[in-house]
Amino acid sequence: MRSKLIYIIFAIAVLMAGILLAISLAEPVANAGGAAHPDFPGMQIGGDGAARLEHIGLLGFTFQCLLLSQIILLSLLGIAERHRTTDLFVYMGGTMLFTLFIGWQMYSGHTQYLDTGRTGYFMGFPTATAWQLYGTWLGAIPLVIIYSLGFRKYIYTPQDEEKFQQLLSEKAQERTRSEQ
Amino acid sequence: MEAFRQEIIVGAVVVYMLFCIITGLWAMRRTHNSSDFFIAGRGLGPIVVALALFSSTLSGFGFVGGPGLVYSIGVSSFWMVVISSTGYAVGFFLVSKRIRMIAELRDCISLPDIVAARYGSEAVRFLIAITIVLGVMGYLATQILAMAVVMQAILSGTEMFADVGLVTCVAISSAVLIFYCVTGGIIASVYTDVVQGMIMMVAGTLILFTAMSVFDGGMQEATSIILADDAEAIMPYGVAGIMASLGWFFVFGLGLAGQPHLITKMMMNKNIADNRSILPMSLFGYVMAALLWISIGIVMRAAVIDGVVDPLALPDDAASVFLTAFANPLLAGVVFAGLFAAIMSTSDAFLNIGTAAIIHDIPKAIRGHSIKNELFWARVVTVLLAIVAASFALYSHFRDATLVAILGAFGWGTFAASIFPVVAVGLNWKGATVPGAVTAIVAALLINFVSQLAGYTFPYAISGQLVAFASSMVLFIGVSLVTKPPQLDYDIERVMDI
Repeated sequence: MRSKLIYIIFAIAVLMAGILLAISLAEPVANAGGAAHPDFPGMQIGGDGAARLEHIGLLGFTFQCLLLSQIILLSLLGIAERHRTTDLFVYMGGTMLFTLFIGWQMYSGHTQYLDTGRTGYFMGFPTATAWQLYGTWLGAIPLVIIYSLGFRKYIYTPQDEEKFQQLLSEKAQERTRSEQ
Repeated sequence: MEAFRQEIIVGAVVVYMLFCIITGLWAMRRTHNSSDFFIAGRGLGPIVVALALFSSTLSGFGFVGGPGLVYSIGVSSFWMVVISSTGYAVGFFLVSKRIRMIAELRDCISLPDIVAARYGSEAVRFLIAITIVLGVMGYLATQILAMAVVMQAILSGTEMFADVGLVTCVAISSAVLIFYCVTGGIIASVYTDVVQGMIMMVAGTLILFTAMSVFDGGMQEATSIILADDAEAIMPYGVAGIMASLGWFFVFGLGLAGQPHLITKMMMNKNIADNRSILPMSLFGYVMAALLWISIGIVMRAAVIDGVVDPLALPDDAASVFLTAFANPLLAGVVFAGLFAAIMSTSDAFLNIGTAAIIHDIPKAIRGHSIKNELFWARVVTVLLAIVAASFALYSHFRDATLVAILGAFGWGTFAASIFPVVAVGLNWKGATVPGAVTAIVAALLINFVSQLAGYTFPYAISGQLVAFASSMVLFIGVSLVTKPPQLDYDIERVMDI
């Protein structure tokens, strides 16, 4: 798994491209990207939300899930292979589940509203939008925490720093020799 | 105080511009060579880098176009903001450590330098440099034009400068920008960024509180008004729909790590270990400043629907009408200074990387070495580049907007599509090859250019930028996997092991 990370990233990238193709070929609906507001110039409306999701809703949500997974996998790629320990995989896996949960709450909250026409509110916004606004932003905060608090364990350990300093001094000696 | 509203706003902007000029003079004494001019001699502390990073991310678009977009298409445009935590995190995981190490190891002063060191290829350096120059021209022209339009709007409200023309405003604003960029290079740029970033954070926070007080029921009343008018506008995917929104999530979320004006700043910190604090500080600053984008947009859409204010002539008027209708003159002064700060902090970053590409990277890619007396030519080219971009902006405004629109396509999305795979993935995967990098860059440029020129729109509001980015990712990894693995230089290989 560890050395095969790039293949997983590639597979997800191909799947996402495939979904984009499938959506492009799906039955078109009117105003999929919005339409002019009847009363206010410069303002647009979305109109019938259920119709806009009818043919591509699940494909779109799958695209979103793959993107969220890709973000975690790419973050993992940024960590040297020997630092990809089991506990790191647990943290990253937990972050992935957390972001997917937020994504699901947002999507299902939206479809629920489309079905019932009713919504609650959280901190000023309809519940589904609150998941998008606050949830999406908070979803990546564990990544920031892993990076900042785990910096000396996963990103740039004291041993890494030592190796880099050694490399710098080797290069400096090399330059001195070539100048002589 | 209300009687002196316009004078207070002009005063705030003048004070801000004087500060930029003084910073330029101060930084000139610290700029001794091209390394100082382009990457501040890799000697910046964490707070400076963090503020410079976030203030360069949020351009004038965030202060003017952002609220306008929320007014126009509702929550869809939130996706460009809420991905900031993802964008910064991915950027730091993938780029910040290795770009800084290679910069020190090989004395790199630009992103194309890093790419040439990583791939051992002048062709890749050349392509990245060309991409940067094209993008810089489009970005700079639009930023200078935005700066001049705002200045004209402010000055024309006073008696003394009621008839001021756009050309004069372009000349004044460009002169200030050129002065501090030429005298102080990136050192002036990042230290003005620090103050620019602080102004933007204060402006964003104060605007949020002002916006929440417009309706008695606060933000919930505003969103309820929008919901009653058109539910999709305030639902998670907004008016533009699910694919447009996710496209922005993709392009802005992953794409931050492909923006040359941002990742170049990751080469400038004094200590690699400072990255651990730079990431959360940048993110905090961005979120504070971006509050303005969301809160003005939502309140103005609700206020127009509810009849509190007249419909806007243009969506981009949202911020200025909000400030006139609802903000205290002092707050309006801070926000207008913040607006100039946002535009200038992005413009100076682009001037810097554009100049580096022209005097350092393109000659190096073609002739094998850069030009002599780089610092002198850096200053000359900075002036020329700004003048060309300003002329370009005026030509576009008065004669033909097509050219800037086409180059504008070489904005965030094109940088993301062409640079992210090559730099962000390439710095972390030894299997990345030159053919993979060349294919990804060329495909990204072609797809963006062709879809823009042909005016092609993909179904379900899928953007050309998303198609370009998804394609370049697949092509970069796919072509690299089927081509011969490269023989990396020993020092680069060791950096990639760390």
